[in-house]
Amino acid sequence: MTDSISNKWSRRRVLATAASGVALAAATGFPMPALAQGKKLTYWGGLIFSDDANKLLSDTITAWGAANGVETEVVMINQNETTQKVSAAVSSNTMPDAMDTGLGLLRLLGRQNVFSDVGALYKKIGDAQGGWFSGPDTATDLTADGGVARIGIPFGVNGNLLLRRKDLLEPAGFTEAPKTWDELKMQAEAVNKAPVSGLGLALSNVGDANLQVAILQSYGGRIADDAGKTVTLDTPETREWLAWVKDAWDKKLFPAGNTTWDGAGDNQAYLSGQAAFIANTGSVGIAAKKDDMELFEASAFSPLPGGPKGIVSPIDVQLRAITKASPLQAEAMALLEHLSSPEFMNAYFNVAIYGPVLADQEKLPAFDGTNTILVGLLGLAKNGTAPAYPDVNNAAFADFGSNFIIPKLAQRVVVDGWDFDRAIAEAQAQGQAIYDKY
Amino acid sequence: MSVAADTIPAKPRRRLPGNVRIKAFAYLLVAPAILLICGLVAYPFLFAIWVSFTDMVVGSVGNFVGFKNFEYLAGTATFYSAIWNTIVIVLVSDVLKLGIGLGLALLVHQNLPGRGIFRSFLMLPWAMPAFVAFLTWRVLYQPIGGGINLILTQTGLYPEVIDFLGSRSTAMGSVIVASVWRGFPFWFISILAALQSVPKELYEAAIVDGASTWQRFWNVTIPSLMPVIIVTTLLSSIWTANGFEHVWLLTAGGPSDATMVFPVLAYYGMQTQRIGEAAAVSVYMLPVLGVLVIFATSLMMRREE
Repeated sequence: MTDSISNKWSRRRVLATAASGVALAAATGFPMPALAQGKKLTYWGGLIFSDDANKLLSDTITAWGAANGVETEVVMINQNETTQKVSAAVSSNTMPDAMDTGLGLLRLLGRQNVFSDVGALYKKIGDAQGGWFSGPDTATDLTADGGVARIGIPFGVNGNLLLRRKDLLEPAGFTEAPKTWDELKMQAEAVNKAPVSGLGLALSNVGDANLQVAILQSYGGRIADDAGKTVTLDTPETREWLAWVKDAWDKKLFPAGNTTWDGAGDNQAYLSGQAAFIANTGSVGIAAKKDDMELFEASAFSPLPGGPKGIVSPIDVQLRAITKASPLQAEAMALLEHLSSPEFMNAYFNVAIYGPVLADQEKLPAFDGTNTILVGLLGLAKNGTAPAYPDVNNAAFADFGSNFIIPKLAQRVVVDGWDFDRAIAEAQAQGQAIYDKY
Repeated sequence: MSVAADTIPAKPRRRLPGNVRIKAFAYLLVAPAILLICGLVAYPFLFAIWVSFTDMVVGSVGNFVGFKNFEYLAGTATFYSAIWNTIVIVLVSDVLKLGIGLGLALLVHQNLPGRGIFRSFLMLPWAMPAFVAFLTWRVLYQPIGGGINLILTQTGLYPEVIDFLGSRSTAMGSVIVASVWRGFPFWFISILAALQSVPKELYEAAIVDGASTWQRFWNVTIPSLMPVIIVTTLLSSIWTANGFEHVWLLTAGGPSDATMVFPVLAYYGMQTQRIGEAAAVSVYMLPVLGVLVIFATSLMMRREE
C-alpha cells in the first residue's frame, strides 16, 4: 500500500501536478476577451528532452484556451522532424496558427513571408519585463533580411556550456574551470585514463560537432569574409586550430567512436562516466539530476573556454511565431503574450533547459542560483555571442554548418591522416561551392 | 411535349460493338486502381523529378534551375564517395548474403531433427525492426562496453579496443556485416523455397548417371535455383541501394565520408532545407535503380508465365 502511494505521488507526478496548477492559475490570471468562438487554434510545440516541460507547455495552452473560450489543439513536434513537417505543411497550406521554432527555420520561412509581424507584441513584452537581453534581441532582429524585423517572440536561449567532472579534476589539482582551450586540453590530459576520456567532444557529422566552428573562430579563424561571400579557411589560424585538434587526437583525449557519434553520443559518454569534459546545452545535467544524483553533484558547469582571440560562445534562440495565414491572429497574439508571462516562464525555466531572454527574468526564482544549470544558462544569455559571430549569419553560413564542413575537415586530418594543406584545400573548395549558391 | 413525343420517331440506340463494350467496361473497372496508382505512385515520383530541377527550399515552391542541382552535387567529393560506397555495399553484401543464404538453405533442406525451429530462428533478424537491429549492432560495436570488443579483449583474441565504426578501415566492413545479418534471411527463405521445388527425379537421374555430390549441386541444384537467385539479387540490390537505416544508425555516413551512401546524402540535403538538392540526389540514382527494377519485374513476370 505504501509502495502504491509512493508510486502514485512520485517526484515527477508532484512536479507535473504543480506545473498543471501553475498553468491553470496562470491561464485564469490572464483572461482574454471572448474571441474565436467555434474556431480551433492549433499550436505546434517543439519537443525537448524534458517531459515535464513538454507537458507544462501543452497543459498551459489548453488551460488558456479553456479559460478564454478558444478551442486549442497542441501538437508536440520532434524537433528533428520540424523541417520536414513544416515543408509539407507550407506546401499543403496546413500550417498551424502558431508554433515554436528555432532561429534558422524562422529566418528561412520569414523570407517566404510565412509569419506575421509581431513587432508590437515584441515591444510590449520587452517594455513590461525590463527589456530584452542584447544577445537574443540582436540575433532575432531580421531587418538585414530585408523583410519584417520581428516575426518571432523569443522565449529561451540555449547554447553550449562546459560540463566537467569535479570529482576527477579536483584531486588532479584543477579546482577552477579551464579558461582557454589549451587549458582544457591540459586538464583533460591529466584525467585521461581508461575508461575515462578527457575530451568528450563530437567530431562526427552531427550538430554537436559544429562546436568546432566556435573553437576555430576563437583561434581567430573565419568561415567567410565580412561580406559573407568568400570562404576564408586557408589561413594560419585554421592551421592553429587543426593543430589543437590533432594534438588532442594523438594524445587519445577523445573517446573512441566520437567521429561517428550521433546527437546523443556526448551525452551517453558523460552519463556513463566515460568523459571528463563535454560541451552541452544542459540536457545532460538534467538527465544526471534525474537519474544519477551522484554524477550531478560531482559535475560543474562553466562557460566555454576561449582561444587566443577570445571566447566564442554562440547562442541559439528559440521563438514562438504566428503564421500569417492563420485566421486567429488576435488569439494567437494573446496566447504568445500569455506564454511570455513571468508566472508561466518561471515554471517553464524550472523544467526546461533554456536561459532567459528578458532582463526581469533574471529575478525569477528559477534563477536564484540554486540550479547550477540555469545559472550557466543565465550567463550564456547575458554573455554569449551572436549566432555565427564573428562570421556573417547568413543562409550560406547555415548551409555550411548543416553540411558539417568543419567537423569533416577535422575528420580528414584525424581519421584519414591527410595533411593540413590538403584537408583545408578540400574544405575551402566545398565551402566556397556552398557559398556560391547564395 | 407529348405531341412532339408522339410525332418524332425514336432514334434507334447506337450501340458499341461487343468487344469495344467489354474493353470499355474492363477499363472502367480498373480505372479506380489506375487513379490510385497515379495519385500515390506516379504523381509523387514525377513531382520528385520536377523538384530536382528547382531551387525549392522549405516554404517555397522553387524556381526552375535546370541542371544546377546536379552540377553542384557532381562537383562535391562527397557525391563520388556516395557512388563508390553504394556500389561497394550493394556488391559485397549481396555476395555475402548469397553465400550465407544458400549455405543455410542447403543445410536446413536436409532432413535434420529440429530443422523447423532452426528455420524460424534464422528468420529472426528479418523479423526484427530495422531500427532495433541496427541500434543493437551499434551497441555491439561500441569501443567501450561493446559486446564484440569485450569478447575480443577478454578472450585475448585481440588485446586492443577496436573503434569499429570510427575508423575508416573498419567502418564500411562493420556496416556491411550488420546489413548482411539483417538481410540474409530473405535470401535464405527464397532459396529454401526454390530448393523444395526442385524435382527429386532430377537428382535420382543424376545419381543413376553416376554424378558425384558436387556434380549434382553444380549441374542440378544451381541451374534450378538460378532464376530465384537472379530475382533475389535484383530485389536485394534495390533494397540495399535504397537502404537508409543501416548506414544512418551506425555511422551517419562517417567517419569522414567512409560510409556515405545516396539515401544518407539525400537526407543531409533535407537537413539543409534545400529540397531541390535532396531530390536531385535521389534522381541521380533513378537510372540505375530503374534498370534493376525493370529487369527484376520482367524476370518475375517471365517466371509466372
